[in-house]
Amino acid sequence: MITCGMNSGTSKGVITSLLLLWCLFLSPFFLHAEEQGEYIAIRKQGGGKIAVVLDRSAAKGGKESEWAREFDKTVKDGLVFSNLFTILPPPSNVRAGSDGKGGSVNFGALSSVGAEVYAGGAVSKKGGKVNIDMEVYDTFGTKLLLKKSYSGKEEQLRSLGHAFSADLIELLTGKKSFFGSKIVFISSKSGSKEVYQCDFDGYGVEQVTSFRSISLTPVLSPDGRYLAYTSYTSGRPTLYIKNLHDNKVSSVAKNGVSVDPAWRNASELATTLSFEGDQEIYLVRPDGGIARRLTNSKGIDVSPTFSADGRQMAFVSSRNGLPQIFIQDMQSGLTRRLTYSGRYNTQPSWSPAGDKIAYSTWEKTGEINIFVINADGSGLKRLTSGVRENESPSWSPDGSMIVFTSNRQGGKKLYVMSSNGENQRRLLQMDGDQMQPSWSLFR
Amino acid sequence: MFIPGMLFLGACCCQEDVVVAPEVIPPPSVELGDIFFDYDKSELRAEAVQQLQKNFDWMKQNVTGTLIVEGHCDERGTNEYNMALGERRANAAKDYMVNIGADPARMQAVSFGEERPFALGHDEASWAQNRRAHFVGQGAAAPAPAAK
Repeated sequence: MITCGMNSGTSKGVITSLLLLWCLFLSPFFLHAEEQGEYIAIRKQGGGKIAVVLDRSAAKGGKESEWAREFDKTVKDGLVFSNLFTILPPPSNVRAGSDGKGGSVNFGALSSVGAEVYAGGAVSKKGGKVNIDMEVYDTFGTKLLLKKSYSGKEEQLRSLGHAFSADLIELLTGKKSFFGSKIVFISSKSGSKEVYQCDFDGYGVEQVTSFRSISLTPVLSPDGRYLAYTSYTSGRPTLYIKNLHDNKVSSVAKNGVSVDPAWRNASELATTLSFEGDQEIYLVRPDGGIARRLTNSKGIDVSPTFSADGRQMAFVSSRNGLPQIFIQDMQSGLTRRLTYSGRYNTQPSWSPAGDKIAYSTWEKTGEINIFVINADGSGLKRLTSGVRENESPSWSPDGSMIVFTSNRQGGKKLYVMSSNGENQRRLLQMDGDQMQPSWSLFR
Repeated sequence: MFIPGMLFLGACCCQEDVVVAPEVIPPPSVELGDIFFDYDKSELRAEAVQQLQKNFDWMKQNVTGTLIVEGHCDERGTNEYNMALGERRANAAKDYMVNIGADPARMQAVSFGEERPFALGHDEASWAQNRRAHFVGQGAAAPAPAAK
């Protein structure tokens, strides 16, 4: 077996050729050494999932064993949700000769089941708190990649599991994941449309508004400080911006419709307003004041979404007749049409992790399907098909997944899929219709 | 001839000021009606123009009455775009009535997008019913003196 001498001080060229060899013959991904022992697995494009063995966390029994089971389940569920891993059961002799604690890892046993990464640890009670010591190994290189302790209150077990999962994914992919992010959405569960939120994986559903009116299009600011949404509490669709720190609510005090906001950054959002007659997109401040008007065309301009750097805005316009998606440069104001395929394209969502835009097309068949396209108009790809109406795509903060609405099983429910359309599944089980999901950028 | 709103009680036998009883106001003779739109359109059809004239007559009869003009869409298409489309329908109706003399201060256009369908079916007959501007009259207090 070829061993990667990550900390040996070997010259970079030698390491690179060793890594290349190792990569070519043994693994769909390889590990790259950074100076301070930080490892990032760079997966080959199209490379398969990472084969990981998640060992059962060691615990002394009683409460600690309960914690260990919940922690292990949270980590496993999170990694399954990410769709990045093949999760293998631990071989029986993975910690050969151990008493459940501290025994050395049996890399031979791990390699024989095809594991690339091994993660295991121990759960204990320290000072009234849950303490979890985790270790992650590269099983081919038999190298310790991560050794980290996680500590918190009992009720924070899920957060601890997500913190470790986030560290593991960042370690192996070099990217921040979605653990810790929230999804806000609308549900008619109570009989009227209200704002709800849940964790990235559909857990922890909470009702946010109780207006008994119509609430629509919620979206959290990038820092999680504000929630913007449209509500009919005043009798007409008005944009409200709620400061989640002090619960103060401001509104855009203009006549006409005010709908479908999107944050450009933590201190500016865009929304459609019509107080000047036509439906145009304006930049608005969190206090409800109008910063400036962005569009100027006859017809509807609606549904803004911004590139990660805030320099470009995609939006829907009916300036040419039926709705199509356009992109406007924020500085020059120059606008170009993005979509030419399909007669009715709406609901654009710009990936926070690249120049891709997801949107929905109302097709001739009557289906509504989600597509993704590069910001330059290339690479058009249909992500859903054959399953009725699929709408309202919104990207996870790392750009690896998309949450959307579908009525494929009857009522409108929330679903998630990988950014390439694979692995489509229900996000949560909940009464009533669920719609207009928006994935937070914070995590 | 019947004089609406004025009923004198005991006017023939009392020397003191008479008490004027409040009277039930007869309903206005002109009724508000909805107008309908083509798919993805906010332009007025010919028959819509006739109905808007009647709705303007209602405003003339109910001088203190106000109108909420609701713009609605069918369930097809996407909610956010339909919010804007519904507003264009409400505005098209309101603007026409203002052009023929209605007081814009007595009218408010509100879009409901596809949030409040009238017909609940999933076919063209229902959709056609739901692509509408709906008029809600409020505060129709007294008939205009000129109405005969």
